[in-house]
Order: sequence, then C-alpha cells, then structure tokens
Amino acid sequence: MSEIRLEVKQVSKSFGITKALREVSFNINKGEVHALIGENGSGKSTLTNSLAGIYQKDSGEFILDGKEVHPHNQVEANNEGISIIVQELGTLDGLTVAENIFLGHEEAFVKFGVKNTGAMNRKATELLKKYGFDRIKASDMIENYNFEDRKLVEIVKATYFDPKIVVIDETTTALSREGREELYKQMNRIRSEGNTVIFISHDLPEVLKLSDTITILRDGVYIDTVKSSEVDEEGLKKLMVGREVSGSYYRADYGEEVSAEVVMTVKGVTVPGLISDINFELHKGEILGFGGLSESGMHEIGKACFGASFDREGSVTLADGTEINDIPTAIKHSIAYTSKDRDNESLVMNQSIRDNICLPSLDELSNKAHLLNDRKLKAFANTYAEKMSTKMTSVDQFVSNLSGGNKQKVVLARWIGKDSDILVLDSPTRGIDVKVKQDIYQLMDKMRKAGKSIIMISEELMELIGMCDRIIIMKDGQINGELKRDKDMDENSLIAKMV
Amino acid sequence: MAIQEKKEVSKEGALKKQSAINILRSLLPVIGLIVVCILFNILTKGSMWNSRKLILNQVYVVLISATGVFFIMTMGGLDFSQGSIMGIASIVVCLLSKTNIILAVVGGVAAGAAIGAVNGYFYVNRKIKSFIVTICTMFLFRGFIKYMASNSPVAASMKVYDYDTTPIKLGITAAVLIIGFVVFRFTKFGINLKAIGAGEKAVKFAGLKTDRMKFIIYVLAGAITGLAAFVNIVKNGSATANVGNQLETQILIALVLGGMPISGGAKVRFENIIVGSLLYIVLNNGLIMMGLSTQAMQLIQGVVFLIFVAIFADRENLSVIK
Repeated sequence: MSEIRLEVKQVSKSFGITKALREVSFNINKGEVHALIGENGSGKSTLTNSLAGIYQKDSGEFILDGKEVHPHNQVEANNEGISIIVQELGTLDGLTVAENIFLGHEEAFVKFGVKNTGAMNRKATELLKKYGFDRIKASDMIENYNFEDRKLVEIVKATYFDPKIVVIDETTTALSREGREELYKQMNRIRSEGNTVIFISHDLPEVLKLSDTITILRDGVYIDTVKSSEVDEEGLKKLMVGREVSGSYYRADYGEEVSAEVVMTVKGVTVPGLISDINFELHKGEILGFGGLSESGMHEIGKACFGASFDREGSVTLADGTEINDIPTAIKHSIAYTSKDRDNESLVMNQSIRDNICLPSLDELSNKAHLLNDRKLKAFANTYAEKMSTKMTSVDQFVSNLSGGNKQKVVLARWIGKDSDILVLDSPTRGIDVKVKQDIYQLMDKMRKAGKSIIMISEELMELIGMCDRIIIMKDGQINGELKRDKDMDENSLIAKMV
Repeated sequence: MAIQEKKEVSKEGALKKQSAINILRSLLPVIGLIVVCILFNILTKGSMWNSRKLILNQVYVVLISATGVFFIMTMGGLDFSQGSIMGIASIVVCLLSKTNIILAVVGGVAAGAAIGAVNGYFYVNRKIKSFIVTICTMFLFRGFIKYMASNSPVAASMKVYDYDTTPIKLGITAAVLIIGFVVFRFTKFGINLKAIGAGEKAVKFAGLKTDRMKFIIYVLAGAITGLAAFVNIVKNGSATANVGNQLETQILIALVLGGMPISGGAKVRFENIIVGSLLYIVLNNGLIMMGLSTQAMQLIQGVVFLIFVAIFADRENLSVIK
C-alpha cells in the first residue's frame, strides 16, 4: 500500500438548491495519477475546485499529508502545494507570459516595493526552456498566443513549483495532439517525482491509459475507487451511469446512398482572417461533418451558414433560392444552430427553460391578436424538454442551474420544437457525458432518416467518423480534403489532412 | 435506493426553503407599502389619509413615466434623461395647448419619442453605454429647458384646467398600465424584452433583431413620458425651468422600491411599477408631513434606496447592465 497524500473526508457542497457534493470521502495516494470520472453534474469539478480554493466547501475536510487544508483562494492553495489547470482559459489578458506564470507569487521578484521585471522574465524564460516550450517568449503579452499555447503556459504556471497535487480539469479536450502529448509527459514527470495528479476527463480510453487509480462520482455521491488495470471501458461506463450502456453508440449503417437533392449551397464564402473561399453542398438527409484543429476555421463555417458571421463574403443559398445573410432569415427558413459557446450564444442563462425553448417559436405560438398564452408556452416547452428527457424540476427552472448535458438538451429541444430542416451543430457533445452523447447521436440518426440535413462540426474525430456521411477537413481556414463514410476509416487518415 | 430517497427529500426541502425566500422577497414591497401607510397615518394622526387625494395626484406622473423606464430596465438598460424628456415635452404641450388640446397631447408624445430616438441612436448605432448616453442627453435638454423657461415659465392655455379631473388623469394612467401589462406579459415583445436583459448574445442567436428592439424601446419610453408630460401640465398649468427635475431619480427609486432588480432580466415583474411608485410617493409625503427638512429627507431616501437595491439586486446578472 502506498502512502496517502490526500484524504477527502465527508465533503459536501451545495449551489442554491442543487447539492453538488454529498459527504464524499476517499483517499488519494502519493506518486499516482488519480482520475476522477462521472457524468456531467456528478461533482468532479466542484470537488477539485473546492480543494484548490476556487469554491468554499460547505462541510467536511481535506487532509493533505496529515494536516487539514482549507485554502480560500488559489494563491493560498498554491502555498499549500495544490495547483489546478482549469477547463476554461486560466490566463489573464493584458499581462505578459511571465506575469501570468508568477501571478500571485510576485513577491519573489519584489525588492523595496519595486518589481524586478528583468529577473521575472529571466526566470520565466528558464522555466519555458526547461519545459521545452522555447517558442513562447516570457516578455510577450499573453494575448499574442493562441488557446493552445496559453494552455501550455498554464501547465508551466501550475507545475513549476513542484506542487504536491496538480489538478488537471478537462484540459485535454481543448488541446491538439501535440499539446496532449506534452501534458501527458508532464503528468508522468509529476508522478515519477512522487507527487500526485488528479485528472478529470470524459475521454475514457485516455483515462484508462494514463491513470493508476480511478474514482467514480455520480450525482455528487462517491461510488467507487478502482485500479485502472482492473477495469475496462464498459465497466467504467456502467459505474458512471449506474446501468449497462447498451446498444450501439454511433449509427450502424454503411453504404447507404445519400439523396442527390441539394438543400444548401455554400459558394465562395470568406470571412476575413478566419476562412477563405469555402465551397460545398449539403444534401437532403445527410450528415456532413467538419473536422480540423480548433483554429482551422471550422467553427466559423457554422456561423457563416447561419448568417451570424461578421463581414462575410460569398453566398449561402437554399434550394428555393433564398440567400442567408442574417440570423432571422436563417431561422425563418428552417435553419437551426447550436454554438460551441453554449452558455453565451445558445442559451439565455438567467432565464427559464420555458422561455429558452419558446424563444424562436413565439410567432407560431401567438394567436391571431399576437397574444401569448402562458399555459400554451409551458405545454410547448414541456413537450420538447421531455422529448429530450431533460433533467429538471420544471420548465420554470433557470438554465443556469442545469449541468452541461442538460443545457445542450434544452438547446436541441428549442430547435426540435421549431422543427428545423437544416441543423448546424457546432461541437454538439462538447463536455457532455456518455449517456447524453448517446442520446444526441440517436437523435441525429433519427433526424437524418426523417430527411433533415445536419452539418456537424466537431473536434472529436471518432464521432465524425461514426456519424457522418461525408467529412470535410479544414486546415488554415481552407478546405483540405473530403472523406466519404467508410467502415475502415480511422483517425489517422483524418489527422493526416488536418496538420 | 436509500440514497435516492434521501436526495429527493432534501431536494424538496431545499426547494421549499428557496421558494419561501423568493415569496418573501416578492412580498416585501407590498408589506413595506402597508407598513409605511399605517406607520405614517399613526404618526400624522390620520392627516395623511385625509390628504389621500393630494397624494394620489402626485403618483400619476411617476406611474406613467415609470412604465417606459420599466421596459428599458427590463432589457438591462438605464435612462437618466427622463426628467429632461418630461421638461421638453411639458414645454411643447404648453405651447401647443394654445392651438388645440389634442395637438398638444400628440406634440408631447412626439417630442418625448424624438428625444428617446436620440438616446436610442447613440446607444444602439454608436454603441455607447445607455447610462452615459442618457446622462449626456439629460444635461443637453436640461439646457434647452433653462433657455426656454428661465425668464418666465411657459404657461399653458387655460383650457387645460378643464382636464384636471380625477377620471381623466386616472383614466390615462390606467390605460398606460393596462396596455403595458398586456404587452409585457402576453406578447412576444415582452418575452423578448426579458430575454435581452438576461443574455443579449444568445437572444441574437435565437433570431431576434435586438438592435431594432432596443431602439424602439427607447423611443417608446420617451413617448410614454411625453404623455405623462400632458398629465403634468394639466395638473400644474405651466412649465418652469425646473419642470421634470430629478424625475429620473424618482422613477429609479420607485422601481427599485417596488422590487425591480436593477439589472433587469427574467426576474422583473410588472407589479414593481405600481407598488414601487405608490411606496415612493407615500414615503415622500409621509416624511414631509412629519415636518422633516429636505436634507434629512434625502438622507433617509438614500438609506432606504440602498437597502432595497441590496435586497433585490440579481447578483448572478449584475454584469449585464448596458
């Protein structure tokens, strides 16, 4: 038995009426990569954020090396030897790379109240060199770097002082292959130095490959801790969901002919700085995938088809000749769009589920005198929320209280309620757990069979391969190849065109 | 299974507690109104009740113009130019009343709408925060008012006094409130308004022409205050250089006293206007009747205002004030 690093004892935490953690207790050892898995809203991030001082737990104890720790913020947590790399962007604009790395620990470079910028930059350069990130310059402003590089800076920031515990929360989904490899390397280094990594990920193969021990949470309750060598993916899914995940995950058909009928033609679409000269056709009943690196411009294609791009050139034309140049026209002509930025662009957060679902359908729901009836709105929202089996107390609940998966269900419920014929889904399963993912895939398959056309933009290659009739690969804002649905297609053939 | 059950129970318990707090919050303004009414009647030995007509007479203007500002605040904006809109519209009403009363009403509304359009243009098209724009227009049009009315007040035609009856003033107020309520509660416009307050970007992606909507609301609020200006002139007979002074603050205090979250959004309720306006006027008159000095009154108002803002601020949503 290896030595215990952290004891989690009876930790509870609530947000309003939602109990995110209920008396969770388990141990984490020294020198291990300890994965934390569970469905959306199971409390993984809440637990680690409480440990790292981002949230304050309601009750319970964290005992680190035999001593209780109770950090009130991230700097205090760092001083206790706990650091965290968060899911979203964790670096601050307007500061240099070096200032970001040493944020909260500037006192090491301060003499007589004056910051020694030179010394700070030198130290940061040294660190970046040690990590092998030479191309990042310590004195540059952080906003000169892309998401990927900024994540690398965060890795340095979180690990340079050899903390006892490093929390890595869902970071890999934001990283490209090289970025991930870099992160894996650092994780292994931390482990070999006898320290601990707490690793949160939805990607089960990745979890199995990297971690030594896995703890499963469900609905804020501790379920089990298992050795990675003793379980497989199916076993983990069962523990996460609480039942067998049965049936096929993706659609099963191959070799089906797609209708020749074209529903949307995209011609010469250019958005300055993002995409240039994009041409493609979308057929009836087709799932057309877009893959590429996050910065490849593929996300902008979704916006362009929905009339939401700023400064777009070229044309997006429907079968009946309608040109799509703005959002109201797009919606009127039965186009739906779910954004990658779900919380800002797809949902009105501080608003009820009811209003969120009804928003684009208000014209259809009002009577001849343009008046709306509360009961009718509620019934409409209820029908489609339940159709998507959204977990909620009622449609009057605010969407801000829902977990990521349920939020996405509300977004989809809105467009199913609108009965849109063309769906542009940008990262429809981003940050969503297995069960809801499966629901969404089945829904897409059903829609396809009903003659609806879907554009699916995704950073997850497996779901593109599993779901799409055609996959267009983007690179540097341009189309760099197209692949037809094929049973033998593997990730490598896509990656080859992406980078 | 046991865990499941326990979870359900505790969730229900928490829900009850939460909704109890919410009910208490939404009842607070009404309770406040009743308490203040009783308190001042006891303190003034019933003289407040005897002068109820006088007090009601003051509430019409605030009630009407607060309806427009209510729409603005619901979508997360602010309007500090209401006092100046009232002033300009009052002067227009006075001048036109000499020709024709109907023309005077229309002119007042049009003048209000025009200033609202100026606000809307700079807010929407030039993308300047609403409170900056409206503070600018407040000073700008206050300047006009001083210029027009400093030497001598602009007097209205004597005919306007024919309209100084409770049925007319109450009728106009009730009409504005009822139409406002129906539009707010039972139309697409109302739902969209709340949604803009709760998250504008997402509303845009749901297919709404948010810019057009925001512009229209500023024009509308100006027009409604233009109508309130008519009621104001009917009551006073002339427009002085101070006409409408500090109306914007009165409206803001009234709405917040009525329980309106200052950032707008999904939690606003139409009742906020009525309860808040009444509470403000009663509080104000009560303090005057108690014989308090203006300085002391402002101090007390400031304290009450702060307490109510602290209670009703929707903290999840504070960053959206536009």
